[in-house]
Amino acid sequence: MTLLANILIDGIAYGMVLFIISVGLSITLGLMRFVNLAHGAFAMTGGYLAAWLVGAQGWPFGWGLLAAVVLTGLLGAVLEALVLRRLYRRSELEQVLFTIGLTFLFVATANLLAGPEVQLIPLPAWLKTPVDLGIRTLPAQRLLVIAAGLAVLALSALVLGRSRFGIWLRATVDNTGAAAALGIPVKWVYAATFGVGAALAGLGGILGAELMPLEPYYPIKYLVLVLVVVAVGGMGSITGSAVAALALGTIETASKYLASDWGSLFFFLSMALFLAWRPQGLLVARRA
Amino acid sequence: MGMKMNWLGAALAVVGMAGAAQAQSVKVGIIAPFSGPFAHYGALMKAGAEAYVASQGGKLAGQNIEFVWRDEGGPNPANTRTLAQELVVKDKVDYIGGIVFSPNASAVAPVIQESKTPMVIFNAATSDITTKSDYYIRTSYTLWQVTVPAAQHAAKKGYKRVVTAVSDYAPGIDAETAFKAEFSKLGGQVTESIRMPVRTTDFAPFAQRIKASGAQAVYVFLPGGPPNLGFVKAYQENGLRQAGIEFLGTAETDEFDLQKFGDSALGLTTLFHYSGARDSAANKAFVAAVNKQNKEAIINYATVGAWDGMHVIHKMIEATGGKRDGDKAMAAAKTLKWESPRGPVSIDPVTRHITQNVYLRVVEKGQGGLLINKEVQTFPAQVDHGLTK
Amino acid sequence: MTSLSLHAPPLWRQVLPYAALLGLALLIYFVFPDQLPMAARIAALAIFVMSLDLVVGYGGLATLGHSAMYGVGAYAAGLLATHLTGNPLLGLLAGACAGAVLALLSGLFLLRYEGLTFLMLTIAISQIAQNLASKLRQWTGGDDGLSGFTIQKILGLASFDLQGRVAFVYCFAVMFICLWLMRRLMASPFGLACVGIHQNRQRMAALGTRIRWQLLKLYTIAGAFAGISGALAAQVAQIVGLDSLGFELSAEALVMLVLGGAGNLWGALVGTVVFASIHHWASTLNPYHWLFIIGGMLVTMVLVPRERWGQALSRRLQLFRRAAAPSGASS
Repeated sequence: MTLLANILIDGIAYGMVLFIISVGLSITLGLMRFVNLAHGAFAMTGGYLAAWLVGAQGWPFGWGLLAAVVLTGLLGAVLEALVLRRLYRRSELEQVLFTIGLTFLFVATANLLAGPEVQLIPLPAWLKTPVDLGIRTLPAQRLLVIAAGLAVLALSALVLGRSRFGIWLRATVDNTGAAAALGIPVKWVYAATFGVGAALAGLGGILGAELMPLEPYYPIKYLVLVLVVVAVGGMGSITGSAVAALALGTIETASKYLASDWGSLFFFLSMALFLAWRPQGLLVARRA
Repeated sequence: MGMKMNWLGAALAVVGMAGAAQAQSVKVGIIAPFSGPFAHYGALMKAGAEAYVASQGGKLAGQNIEFVWRDEGGPNPANTRTLAQELVVKDKVDYIGGIVFSPNASAVAPVIQESKTPMVIFNAATSDITTKSDYYIRTSYTLWQVTVPAAQHAAKKGYKRVVTAVSDYAPGIDAETAFKAEFSKLGGQVTESIRMPVRTTDFAPFAQRIKASGAQAVYVFLPGGPPNLGFVKAYQENGLRQAGIEFLGTAETDEFDLQKFGDSALGLTTLFHYSGARDSAANKAFVAAVNKQNKEAIINYATVGAWDGMHVIHKMIEATGGKRDGDKAMAAAKTLKWESPRGPVSIDPVTRHITQNVYLRVVEKGQGGLLINKEVQTFPAQVDHGLTK
Repeated sequence: MTSLSLHAPPLWRQVLPYAALLGLALLIYFVFPDQLPMAARIAALAIFVMSLDLVVGYGGLATLGHSAMYGVGAYAAGLLATHLTGNPLLGLLAGACAGAVLALLSGLFLLRYEGLTFLMLTIAISQIAQNLASKLRQWTGGDDGLSGFTIQKILGLASFDLQGRVAFVYCFAVMFICLWLMRRLMASPFGLACVGIHQNRQRMAALGTRIRWQLLKLYTIAGAFAGISGALAAQVAQIVGLDSLGFELSAEALVMLVLGGAGNLWGALVGTVVFASIHHWASTLNPYHWLFIIGGMLVTMVLVPRERWGQALSRRLQLFRRAAAPSGASS
């Protein structure tokens, strides 16, 4: 029973990190049909910025987190507006290659600026204290991750469903031409969406720094994980990403507890089975 | 005419000097990771090696030393073999040093055997590597060497049930096998042997498994860098010490990451062959030399592995008079005995592995509030127990 | 007006690239003998990238899991040499069979899907293979690699030497033969059908082609060549590591392919040589900064697409040709 509880708790925490990082990619893939393999680089950027602000500059954790997330979002939006926008009409292969090249540049820059070591984000004392849930103790940081994941899920549903921006976004996804004709500022929607996706990735990078250590090769190492979550969850579907991330995260955690010498085999096997069952993704966003 | 002779003479002199300089330069190829998550090893090995040469006045046995650096990257045996082959064939090195990962070390065996190039291993720790060629010498450690004392210590402390948690690759499996063998011999029981995939970043599930095992201590081995860091944090965050499971490690409190653990690392026990805080004249000189060469270099087992490795190469150059003679060099190396920064050491003539003290260390606060590994007990002159039973 | 010639290009034009390649090999052998070990590895890798070209360039299936076939080929050759015989040619055969079998079995499953799903599933297959190889440590040596096997003399003539001469001749010869075979194959009706599928699936289906069957055949053949490449590399290095099944290998091969140009096999060769050489040279300078170089190259290549200057170049060549042969040009 404790084992099951352990698997669920650790699995959900891991899954939430994957979700927060991947949701931005899912949206940009679904919205702009743009294969951005540099998405992991945003997660790394967010983490590095937070490590620098909170660690080296001594900012309080909350402010450092906020600043890092916002800065990463801005970086994403600017990158989109200046560079990535030109590639929307190119073939998938070219987008893949460009973003891989971009990823390499991020990796080399991170190494140049901060060296090859793992970057640690100093946590405030209240996040480090173990919380006793009765069945087991958990560092408070993991609970924060789960809470953040739920918040992102709720907020995205709210924004997409209720806000004007959400309506613009859904319209642009469904039919860009008609949306533009109706006066929706499509280019601005693209930039903003990309920026938000990047910001969320940054948040995921910061919160997940305990599970996925921040070092220059981060975007390459975790690229496959992020792609898997997006593909299994369905491009453009936020709930899909959440379900996929939680399911796969729990499976991976379970295999660590029960069959660690099989490595990540069950993760990829499950992924293959999910995709075979639902090639378009678990919960596909509607697209005209 | 005078001018012409001067010009000709000068030209001849220059050519002569260049020729002489070349003849006097001994080339040492060092293969270490300079990229990827383990790139700090390469930087530390470079610091240690260069500091040694500088401390000897810039020359070893009267010869100029020319280093050729090659990037090992990660575990990539085929690539490492090509690098070694190139070092021997193209760069014509006289000695090869370095190598962090065991599979990479094993891969170069055919190259050094055929070309009779002595290879000094600065880190890779699996026992059977040195058996694969007659030209290997190792100045780092092996898991058997440091684990047998650990099992002895565990038995002496009265532990009856211990769980082992190692990374799932050759050195880790060596650690597990060694601990089981010695601990059972002394009447203890290894209740569970946990193997963690090398690529693991999230150690919480393993920490939970250890907690649930009901053992009194956990014996740990992971490669240095991110895995070490992750595991020790998981040990701390999941309250394993509070649950009564003592930590018995090897290189996990490596000086490279030690400060990052903070005060919760105080009291962690490890058994290893080198502590940067060792209070000896040789060590102090070593630390000073490395810091002179590179102010930011951390003093840890990788740095000292390279330093002692260069010492062995120094003696081999001395024995061969700077000429390339693999067999003569190896014969000389097998007789070496010296006072290393880590304590008194010698090269075992049969296994060609370094015989050294293994220390029981505890993390304490040292000078300036920095965390150090304080040596509290010495297990003298440990051989490679994996090869010498 | 462009004339579509139904005649094959003249014989000398067909032979020229092969002769040039042979000339390059002779140059390396006699003038740059220090580079022979590196050149041997590049030749073996080139076969892999060419086999990837079959799938990506000709077949139009973007895959990031091709290393699975390379890896099983490498392990097959290593295991054969460890347990049965060190005969190199049998080792290549074992590699080819292993690669083909894996491609066939996985292709049956994979080719039901397209686009991103197909891509992700190819990644899944190679990751499953890699994790399985890691688990089956008693067969594969796990993270430590499969080593300790010896390869007998090639054709009973020469064993691998330290200088890398024999290795180079061996790898080059195998690569040369594979290149020729693959070119012949892709110029055949089968190859043209695959290109047709790449260009327009519905049209080919309307013409009666059994799409999945053709693609499966292509995938299997590509798998066989990838297996040969892996086996060759294993024999020359005498060690097989888990990285031969890794994602990084598949991704690097794709980059090499696109660098050189997909769809005609020569591009794959050029791309491999360029990428591997730059990587080797740049790593000796500074291993991390090499990522700046390759990242910059990729980014520039995409922003300034080859098609644009490729087209400009070919247009100029056509003008030149028309000027040189004014009669009979237009038909």
